[in-house]
Amino acid sequence: MPTPVLPLRLRDHASRMLRSPLLHPLNDADAINDLLALANPRWSLTEIRAEVVGREQQTADTLRFWLRPNRRWKGFRAGQHVAITAEIDGVRHTRVYSLSCDPAVPGLLTLTVKRQADGRVSNWLHDQLRVGSIVTLGDADGDFVLPTHGGPLLLLSAGSGITPMLALLYELRARVRAGDTEQDIVLVHVCRDAGDQIFANEVRELAADWPALRIETWHSASRGRPAPDALLAAVPDYATRDTFLCGPSAFMADIEAHWADRGITERLRLERFGAAPRRLETGDASEVRCARSERIFTTEAGEALLPAAERAGLKPAYGCRIGVCRTCLCHKRGGTVENLVTGERSGNGDEWIRLCVSTPRSDLELEI
Amino acid sequence: MSTLNRKRLSREDAAALQTDLDAVRDSVMNTLGEKDVAHIRRMIRRARGSAIAGRAMIGLGFDPVTFVVGVAALAHAKIVENMEIGHNVMHGQYDWTNDPALNSQRYEWDNVCDAGMWRHFHNYEHHTYTNILGKDRDFGYTILRMSDEQKWHPFFLFQPVWNAILALAFEWGVGGHDIGAERLLDGKMSWKEFKERSRPFHKKIRKQLFKDYVLFPLLTFWNAPRVLLANLLANLIRNLWSYAIIFCGHFPEGTQVFSEADSDNETRGDWYYRQLCGSANIEGSRAFHVLSGHLSHQIEHHLFPDMPAHRYAEIAPQVQAICAKYGIAYNTASFARQYGTVLGKVFRHALPSRRTTPVLAET
Repeated sequence: MPTPVLPLRLRDHASRMLRSPLLHPLNDADAINDLLALANPRWSLTEIRAEVVGREQQTADTLRFWLRPNRRWKGFRAGQHVAITAEIDGVRHTRVYSLSCDPAVPGLLTLTVKRQADGRVSNWLHDQLRVGSIVTLGDADGDFVLPTHGGPLLLLSAGSGITPMLALLYELRARVRAGDTEQDIVLVHVCRDAGDQIFANEVRELAADWPALRIETWHSASRGRPAPDALLAAVPDYATRDTFLCGPSAFMADIEAHWADRGITERLRLERFGAAPRRLETGDASEVRCARSERIFTTEAGEALLPAAERAGLKPAYGCRIGVCRTCLCHKRGGTVENLVTGERSGNGDEWIRLCVSTPRSDLELEI
Repeated sequence: MSTLNRKRLSREDAAALQTDLDAVRDSVMNTLGEKDVAHIRRMIRRARGSAIAGRAMIGLGFDPVTFVVGVAALAHAKIVENMEIGHNVMHGQYDWTNDPALNSQRYEWDNVCDAGMWRHFHNYEHHTYTNILGKDRDFGYTILRMSDEQKWHPFFLFQPVWNAILALAFEWGVGGHDIGAERLLDGKMSWKEFKERSRPFHKKIRKQLFKDYVLFPLLTFWNAPRVLLANLLANLIRNLWSYAIIFCGHFPEGTQVFSEADSDNETRGDWYYRQLCGSANIEGSRAFHVLSGHLSHQIEHHLFPDMPAHRYAEIAPQVQAICAKYGIAYNTASFARQYGTVLGKVFRHALPSRRTTPVLAET
């Protein structure tokens, strides 16, 4: 059957024409979204809006939310995360949570939120987000996803680090059911005690009729914080496994160091929650010229642009501040920056950069 | 009569004034929240609703009543959008919400002035160098002589006419302001630079003209002449209104001008003082304040340009008390009085002044 090239291209043209600035204000997306929301709060031309359809207590301080997104949701791959935006006393805050549902089940997402002692958003989600509430989501993002080839795997998690692992397990099981060769999988999970174990039931159910999946649990209340050697005693062949790691930053740092010592870092995939290093020890102070506000500010050595700009009295938009949500996307006219998370260097010219994870490697000119 | 400010605050007073006004600012900025966002979103709904109703009556109606009401509704929508929403959002008053729809860098308003150019000459030049002759190009908008310290030129003989033209075409005056065409006439700017600087203005003009005079007339083509005329009138009404409000901000009797030397080594307290001496308020009801974009509280706006404007009324008594404490005049009066004295200056300064004051600005 011939591919319907023309109609697709026509549709493309039509949708571009509909977005033309010449049609403004007839195509003002903000205005249309507000009108649509009057009819159904989930409707939007541009935003992914989701309705909370369920809340489930996982542990004493962890809730699992079931969300039904609108048609703007483009799906996700197991292991990816999503940004959720909450408006708290007039201010929008964006946080990122791993999706822990089965990607093969369409139209239903789950986010699992642990209450943080001083966490503005996690507390708000726990206290204010009810069944029937509407939240705004971003597109799924992240490269914490399964390789296409099927070698033996080690999933290594601590605390709420289990959240992306559950999605990975759902996808692995789907592969087995689809007839792929069975992969040898070990899940090593660290948590305080049995009562603090998120997804204990889900994991147990999966393992019940899945002989290739082995579960090792470490309860730190009785056994103490695990040293990597002790934790890995149950998986002596770990160096030959593709390993997925997610958990609190101290835990991840221990494991990362262990893998680095053995020269097997390339087998390790990471998903960081919250604080990744957002400051480098090296670098020079740089001067940043702001084309719009006609201001100049300096960054300290290795510092991200966002806090430096804020210290200078500028107020660029921001969301997650950890390089995920892209709210602080800013047009760079010239100069080089380094990504504080990936270590990637930018080119020297016109580019869009994220202020929260970019540190200057030369003097810069930005459109702020 | 010279309106040049000659009294500088003592260093102690400048520091104390700074502390007092910073405290007023903090008392509001620390309590920003849901009600401020609710206010601006209510204003956005009001402007949108009014625009939809107005354009529908203009486009679909046939009778003079829907024409008049439609024009009024559309003019009202444009006034609220330009003054209370656009001006204030573009000042960054709602940047703290992190809502992209309320972001100062992203917002574009419904008139021929390009938002980027406006942010430059208004937020930067006018609010930094308020009433400093030779630096604040908003003082007289480079075509009017509003104080004795501006050098007279035969061009100003006809300034009542220039004033009337500016009032009717106010958005065009504001839109072209940042190009600095006076420097082209003085030979200080090349044609090439002039064309380069005009580009965003031209782009915005095309967009605005297309919308009001092509797109909407064509949408109800059987009514095209009626729509065209109505849109022209609505723009005209908005122009006259914003001109009148804005001219009452820095030109009424009692507002003072400054020399370039005044901004040398200026502390934040000195800067506050200059804003207080150079600005004037208009008294009125709450509805009037909203329609003026709270520029009727020009004094408070100039002290705290990034404070959500609907809070100005609440701090005005405190600002007035602080002025009294330091012996600074707090210039507030009815619209008739303020605009009357502005018009008086337009006529008075059309003629050369007696040589008693230094000339501080060539134009």
